[in-house]
Amino acid sequence: MQTAKREIAVSMTGMSKRFGPVRALENANLEIARGSILGLVGQNGAGKSTIIKVLAGIVKPDSGTIVINGETVTSLTPASVEKLGVHFIHQDRLLVPTATVGEAVFLGHEIGLGPFVSRRGMERKAADLLKRFFGMELPAGTLVKDLTTAQQKVVQITRALAQKASVLVLDEPTAALVKREVDSLFDVLRRLRDDGIAVVFISHYMQEIEKLCDRVTVMRNGTDVGTVDPRQTPIDEIISMMIARDVGEMFPKRSVTLGAPVLEVANLRLGGSFENVGFNVRAGEIVGLTGLLGSGAKEIVQCLFGLKTADGGSIKVEGRELSLSTPVKAVRDGIAMLPEDRRAHGVALGLSVRENISLASLRRYSRSGMVSRGLENQAVDGLIKELSIKTPHRDALVRELSGGNQQKVALAKWLSCQSRVYVLDEPTVAVDVGAKVEIYNLLNRLAGEGAAILLLSSDLLELVGVCDRVLVVYRGRLAGSFSGPSMNSDALLAASSGARSNTDGVAA
Amino acid sequence: MSVSANDNSTKVSVRGFLAKYSVLIAFAAIVVFFAVASPTFLTPANLFNVLVNNVVMLAIVALGLTIVISSGGIDLSVGVSVDVASMVFVMLLAGGYSGVAGVAGGLGAALIVGILNAILITRLNISPFLATLGVLFIGQSTQQLATSGGQPIYLTSGYASDQFNAIARTALFGVPTPVIVLIVLAIAVHVLLHRSVFGRYVQAMGAQPGVAWYSGIRVPRELSMVHVLCALLAGVTGILLSATVKSYVPLSGNAFLLDAIGATFIGTTLSRERKPSVVGTLLGVLLLAIVKNGLLLVGWNFYWQQVGIGVLVFLVLAASFGLRRAAH
Repeated sequence: MQTAKREIAVSMTGMSKRFGPVRALENANLEIARGSILGLVGQNGAGKSTIIKVLAGIVKPDSGTIVINGETVTSLTPASVEKLGVHFIHQDRLLVPTATVGEAVFLGHEIGLGPFVSRRGMERKAADLLKRFFGMELPAGTLVKDLTTAQQKVVQITRALAQKASVLVLDEPTAALVKREVDSLFDVLRRLRDDGIAVVFISHYMQEIEKLCDRVTVMRNGTDVGTVDPRQTPIDEIISMMIARDVGEMFPKRSVTLGAPVLEVANLRLGGSFENVGFNVRAGEIVGLTGLLGSGAKEIVQCLFGLKTADGGSIKVEGRELSLSTPVKAVRDGIAMLPEDRRAHGVALGLSVRENISLASLRRYSRSGMVSRGLENQAVDGLIKELSIKTPHRDALVRELSGGNQQKVALAKWLSCQSRVYVLDEPTVAVDVGAKVEIYNLLNRLAGEGAAILLLSSDLLELVGVCDRVLVVYRGRLAGSFSGPSMNSDALLAASSGARSNTDGVAA
Repeated sequence: MSVSANDNSTKVSVRGFLAKYSVLIAFAAIVVFFAVASPTFLTPANLFNVLVNNVVMLAIVALGLTIVISSGGIDLSVGVSVDVASMVFVMLLAGGYSGVAGVAGGLGAALIVGILNAILITRLNISPFLATLGVLFIGQSTQQLATSGGQPIYLTSGYASDQFNAIARTALFGVPTPVIVLIVLAIAVHVLLHRSVFGRYVQAMGAQPGVAWYSGIRVPRELSMVHVLCALLAGVTGILLSATVKSYVPLSGNAFLLDAIGATFIGTTLSRERKPSVVGTLLGVLLLAIVKNGLLLVGWNFYWQQVGIGVLVFLVLAASFGLRRAAH
């Protein structure tokens, strides 16, 4: 009855896409209706982001039909999609940090006369739009980099509205927001829905889906397994639709006997970010660390690698007290870091696999300042084989490798150092499912060999699947320590957002 | 079907070959052209002249820039390093000091320029371009202030300079001494850049500075070393220059800057990743020197030489990058 009246804005049918051996999409369908909010859920690697990238014109599908506003479109490009009124708010902010709000809102559609841009006109119009849609008032000429993450999201949405968006796709828009900001974002989205705009909302957080969405499409293994009304379907049922694949296969089980504490952190403090943080990681243990953006979890990890210097407290590795003011010292003291921004900090794309792997441990392969290519090649070949890094040869450029294999190269660099402590910052972001499982296996093996691993992640399923124990940071403090049966994504989420805390394990 | 596929791959590999060796091909073509156009071009006397006067000093400066550019930076103050080394060397010799003192003083002066650059870049976090540009301005004014507006200082006979002048004009086993100095330095820089731990760090900083920092490399220290080495190499050129012309002419070092940068970038066409290399830089220097000399012999005047060199640089870079893109 209601379905008959629903106007379809976008319909994608029979979408398939392969990346090499990985089937990212297989006969997937997605239907987006006007005046409604559609949730899109699925585990990482289920195909959510691929189908969205296909719609955004970023990824070319192998097969399938896309109909936008009743028109069958064949070849989509990011520009042509925007012309059709379909706009995307991607997870990572895509605003020019040094632009003003006005410039950001009208980027690519500047207001002005001929080649001359009227900056003042854009500022005024942007201010109007922000006020009209969101009741938000910003001083004229505010720079994007001075906005909070939530305000940046709103500016992005405003940019879409300024161009008469009829479909708005938001990829995990709440990942970096605090509760209050999430609520006001939801108000905005409901208002847009009531104005007849089709909203797609991608999220990992079931509670948000339940609260906001009119319908939810669940994806699994590259296809859509069902579309339901989240208000009438229990969350457990939706989750079981997502996880019908064998979780045991995604997160390999292991059994390790834990050794002595390798990393001991006590009373660590960084002004404005966190305080009174203390925890241990034992040999063979994988400890998770999570918290919303701005919670201080990220800064804790940065202090452990000398990227930021803690104001107080102590960090010990194997009983030795460290003073970590630079990564130079951290590396020397046996701490390895897999940074979140792989291309800026993890691997040098323009260097070879060999040069990347040996970079942090060159002294091992050198005699009086000269690199011994024999020693280096031997070690590198060993690691390529050990981690099954898929590369044509050791001298291939890292640029030519897939994301997962690049991440393995970044990890191999630290294996080559024989580090004792591994600090991993979102190691599986932008890595395909197959490589993810390989990375989890590697972490297990490292732990099995007695390394201490601290895994910072915002992927709660990953934390639950991989870690022995998960620490949650909320507003600069450890808000909970979860292990065994109490370690589940609902509990972690609750603790991250300050709704619930579990202090019994914090002292550990 | 298979024939056309074959055809294609041959075409691609020919293009790839042309792209890879565009410098060498240009080099060979130019040598042949001038050999035909001018009877004096290939004579030993002329080649000796090209090597000693046009190649050696430029090449030594370019070796330093090769290190800096490999690290992802630039040094616009190499001319200042050349000049201050030359100035102190000549002043010491004119003041009656020994040749050893002169060389030590000259290199010391260049070292100060290098350290100044290093401090500006690694301690004050000024970008290499702006830091060395500032040093260039300061260095030029300092020279004018020290020489009452740019008066040259000449070395008359009887100073230790005579020995240097003699060295600059003699040959060992038929190879001019300055050329031997260049060969030794080139081998040293090659080993340093392409075989040593330091060189690997330099490449990493050039490829992705963030990765170098996150790998525990002491980036400020290595970067300081890079700029000190570059200044010292330029200082060697300054001393060779004074020994050859028996004088210090203020601001003469700047003539090396653009040629050295040009030579280094021409040299990057040898590598697929467009990385500077010692071999590439030397080829670039030879190419520039031969074109200059050849155009002079053919009778072009100085201004047209500059045009010729500009066109040549465009052609080599365009051929290399254009063909390479086509090959991929």
